[in-house]
Amino acid sequence: MSETTAVSIRNLSKSFDGVEVLRDVDLVVKKGDVVTILGSSGSGKSTLLRCVNWLEQPDRGTITIAGQRIGVNDAGKPMSMRELAKVRARTGMVFQSFNLWPHLNVLHNVTEAPIHVLGKARSEAEAHAHELLEKVGMSHKTAAYPNTLSGGQKQRVAIARALAMRPEVMLFDEPTSALDPELVGEVLAVIKALSAEGYTMVIVTHEMTFARAVSDQVVFLDKGRIIESADPETFFTRPSTERVQKFLERNEG
Amino acid sequence: MNASAWSMLLEGAWVTLWISGVSIAIGVVAGLLLALVRLARIPIIDQILVLYISLARATPLVTLTLFIFLSAPNFGIQLDRNLAGILALTINTTAFNAEIWRSAFGNFSREQREAAMSMGMTPWVTFRRIMFPQLMITSLPGLVNEMSFLIKGSPAIAVIGIVDLTRVTNRISAVTYEPLPPILVACALYMAIIGCLVWLQRIAEHRANRLAE
Repeated sequence: MSETTAVSIRNLSKSFDGVEVLRDVDLVVKKGDVVTILGSSGSGKSTLLRCVNWLEQPDRGTITIAGQRIGVNDAGKPMSMRELAKVRARTGMVFQSFNLWPHLNVLHNVTEAPIHVLGKARSEAEAHAHELLEKVGMSHKTAAYPNTLSGGQKQRVAIARALAMRPEVMLFDEPTSALDPELVGEVLAVIKALSAEGYTMVIVTHEMTFARAVSDQVVFLDKGRIIESADPETFFTRPSTERVQKFLERNEG
Repeated sequence: MNASAWSMLLEGAWVTLWISGVSIAIGVVAGLLLALVRLARIPIIDQILVLYISLARATPLVTLTLFIFLSAPNFGIQLDRNLAGILALTINTTAFNAEIWRSAFGNFSREQREAAMSMGMTPWVTFRRIMFPQLMITSLPGLVNEMSFLIKGSPAIAVIGIVDLTRVTNRISAVTYEPLPPILVACALYMAIIGCLVWLQRIAEHRANRLAE
C-alpha cells in the first residue's frame, strides 16, 4: 500500500436481511483528495460510508485507513471494541442529523473526545477547539447548548467536533440533507474551505453543483455497485453510462 | 399533645427517614447495576434477574419484611430489626429502579451513541461521558416517583416492631386517647419529606429541558 493512500476499500459486500446493498465495491482515496459518492436513495452510498468506520459491518472485503486495517486485527480475528475504537479515532464522521451531545455545550462537544479518547490536556484541547470553531464560524457560540442552535450551526459544530480528532479522513453522510434550504450554503461553504486546506474527505451528497466544484473524484453507486468513477469534469459532461446520464438529466436545474 | 409526644413523633420521622434513605441510596445504585447486567444479556444470570424482579415487584412490602425477618434464623442469621427493614425496602425498590434504568437505556438515542463510537470512544467511555449524565436526568422523574412510593410504603417495617413515623402515632394515642393530632402531624411530616423530593425533581426537570431537542 502506498504512503499516499488515506482509505482503501477492496471487494466490499454487504447485505441486509438477504438484500445485497453493496457488491464488490473497490475504492481508493488518496491523501488530500475529496471523493464524493453520488447515487439515488437506496443505492448503498450511506452504507458504504458507514462501513469505512465500521458503524456497519461488511460481510466481505477489506478496508484500511492510512494503512491500518479496520474490523480485523493483526491476528486475523474480529477486533475487540477497544481495538475498533482506536481505528475509529483516526476517522471523523459528520452525520445527516448532526448527532451533537445535548448535555454538553458547543465547546465541550468539541473537546470531549480529544480529552477522553486521546488523553489530551483540557487546556490544549480547548485551544484547538477554539481554533476549529473559528474555522467553522462558530466561535461566538462556544458556551451555547445544541438545542439553542439552528441546523446549519449544529452541523458546523459537528464538523469542528470531528476535526478535533485530527482524523486521517473525514466522512460526510449527507451533511446537508436535514437542513432547511437557506442553511445548506453555510455548511457547504465550510466543507469547501476544508477541501482547499487539503483535508481528505469522502462525501455522500445530493448537491450536484457542490460535488462538481469540490471533488477530485466522483463515484456513482447504483444498486450497490460502483458503475462510474471519474474526475468531476468527465463525470458531469461525458458520463460513460446511460444510467448516470439519466441521473444527471433528472437532477439538472 | 405534650412535649414528649412531639419528641416521639420526631424520632419516628427520623427512623422512617434514615431507613428509607439508606434503602433508596442502595436501591438506586443497585438498580443501575442490575440494569447494566441485564443489558449484557448474560444467559442464566439474565433469567435469574428477571425472576427476582418479577417476584420483588409482586410481593407486598409487609409480606416481604415479615418473610425476611422470620426466615433469617432458619439460615442461622440473627437479623437486627433495622437491618431486616432496610433489606426488605431495598429488595423491593431495587427491582423497580432496575426497570426504570433499563427503559431509559433502551430509549437512549442511537445517533448519539454512533457519534461517540465514530469519535473513537469505547463503550465504557460512551456510557460514562455521554449516556450516564443524560440518563441520570431523564430517569430522575421515575426514580423520584419510586422513592416517594417507597417512603409511603415504609410503614410496612412496623410489622417487625420498628417504631417508624406511623407506628409511633399508635403509641402516642395509646397514652393520650387522642389519635387524631399525632396522625395529622405524621401526615404533615410525610408530606414534608415527599415535598423535598418533588422539589429536587423540579430542579432536575428544569435541567432536562436542555436535553429536549
